[in-house]
Amino acid sequence: MNSIFLPIFLYPVLLWLVYTGMSFVAGQTEGFASRVALLAFSNEQRVFKIDLERDPRLEVKTSNDPLADIRNGDLDLMVEILPPAREAARLTGNFRVRLTYDNSKDRSRMARDRIAERLRLYRDRYLEQEAGKLGLTPAQLQQFWVETNNIATERQMGQFILGLMIPIFLIIMVAVGSMHPAIDCTAGEREKSTWETLMTVATSRVNIVAAKYLYVSTMAAVAGILNLAAMMFSMKSVLAPLLGERISTFSFGIPLRSIPLIIAVTVLLAFFISAGMMILASFARTYKEGQATVMPFYFAIMMPVMFLQVPGLEFTPALAAIPVVNICMVFREAVAGVYHWPMIAITLAVETGCIFFSLWLAATILKYEDFILGSYGGSFGKFFKERLLPGRGKRGGRA
Amino acid sequence: MSEPVEVRGLAKTFYDENRGEIQAVKAVDFECREGEIFGLLGANGAGKTTTLRMLATILAPTAGSATILGHDVTAEPAAVRRKLGFFSASTALYPRLTARETIEFFARINQYPSDQVLKRVGYLVERFGLASYADARIEKLSTGMKQKVSIARTVAHDPPLLIFDEPTVGLDVLNALEMQEVIKEFRNQGKTIVFSTHIMSEAEKLCDRIAIIHGGRILACDTLEKLRQATGARYLEDIFVHYVKSL
Repeated sequence: MNSIFLPIFLYPVLLWLVYTGMSFVAGQTEGFASRVALLAFSNEQRVFKIDLERDPRLEVKTSNDPLADIRNGDLDLMVEILPPAREAARLTGNFRVRLTYDNSKDRSRMARDRIAERLRLYRDRYLEQEAGKLGLTPAQLQQFWVETNNIATERQMGQFILGLMIPIFLIIMVAVGSMHPAIDCTAGEREKSTWETLMTVATSRVNIVAAKYLYVSTMAAVAGILNLAAMMFSMKSVLAPLLGERISTFSFGIPLRSIPLIIAVTVLLAFFISAGMMILASFARTYKEGQATVMPFYFAIMMPVMFLQVPGLEFTPALAAIPVVNICMVFREAVAGVYHWPMIAITLAVETGCIFFSLWLAATILKYEDFILGSYGGSFGKFFKERLLPGRGKRGGRA
Repeated sequence: MSEPVEVRGLAKTFYDENRGEIQAVKAVDFECREGEIFGLLGANGAGKTTTLRMLATILAPTAGSATILGHDVTAEPAAVRRKLGFFSASTALYPRLTARETIEFFARINQYPSDQVLKRVGYLVERFGLASYADARIEKLSTGMKQKVSIARTVAHDPPLLIFDEPTVGLDVLNALEMQEVIKEFRNQGKTIVFSTHIMSEAEKLCDRIAIIHGGRILACDTLEKLRQATGARYLEDIFVHYVKSL
């Protein structure tokens, strides 16, 4: 029961804690006053200087070596007044402002944004004043206004966010859901010495492995689907701290007609990941060794998912031919209620092919008794070199 | 009529990256008769476990053949496993199952008639005095109790042939004696038992016939009485040393 209820409740709570922590940290950074040094300000920039000194978010400091202080983190930014770079622009009262900061530091970047905002306001005021002297009203000076109109519905906005987040979380959850059962029922059995007990029961080894495979795949699929359901229910409240007032413009829900497709690809993903993890974990002699064996596969399936977090990516036949990546794309589109059936068909075919290849590999490996006895010490590479490479495979017997 | 266990020229070669080919068992021949306790007596590394593992279909022979109740171990491994119960120090139990669940699981997976499984489980729980602990997880049981559950698991599907690979290793005297009693009881029920040990007194006490195995070869195979006559030694320890030294 714990395996079912834990993900439902723990997952939203964990996400809420993470986002609350992020909001808290962001709030802490916002609360800091930016330490700035003002250099070479003349009487002509007096108003701008007073403007900066009065901003409560800025703390004007003096420094003998501002560059060193910025590097050391004692100062966030240096504002320098310089003559205009171009000769033609060197008119009376014109000046250039150079902002020197450290882009690798949050506080320094924030100081740059704050000063840039003050500069924009200062320029707007200056232009208004100069226009007034020429008899122009602010409306005449403005000439045009830009207005944006987002025609996406609340639901579409929510689906856009879900489409970015769900694939990565789903793959993590399916991988995590299969990892521990896969290690436990292979390397774990060796470690507990129950492996040999199972090898003596009156059924074929293929049946034993098939039963284990169904168990691991079921756990993986259930973990993925339960977490998906939990995300659906908790997404709005979880994202509220990050999106602030904009949360009211989002509605998180998946089209009902997408659910069978999502479940189908989740199950396929579970079968594929479980097969990979079981094959690798079955070479290990202990649970710890199994973890070390499986981790590269875990990272290998996570890497493409990371690169796919780009909005506006098109689901092309090339992407549909890459395992795991294709599942991500199907998810992303299914969440938005978009169905590219040819791509979905390629995805299903590729994933099914991968599953069958994994099962063939597992059946091939299972024929070797030294594998069954755990002779390869957690190394699939050693087994591959000794057994599967052409010209090898004569050593020892087949089970 | 053929014997329950017939072994002809059975051999096993392992390959080790550092040591090359290792001949663990070199063309052994023996047979076990119905209802007897047949002992494989040998020092550590003599080839006892490898031989028994081949009989239990865990390992495939490199050469030779073995039949268990008429089924070839290489050609019909599943049929062989249905007819035997295999017990060794390396066949452990699932720690999170209860004793009752363990026996039931192994009865079912070994294809004991499903309508009689619960009756069989009840019988074995009573027989091995597990009633008070039947619903406790294996991980909570003492070594002695685990041993009893392990034996019950071995005979859960009531096989006619039992293989015990050094069953008393790691047991205290009382538990070891109880194990010996259980093995005798199985023999009295008509089961054929293949039993390996390096403890001379145990072989002397239990076995109807003894095969002395050393360096992967069977050096002698007969009743204790006939081995005494052949060597002129009274104690099995002396008989064993006689054969090993004569190599």
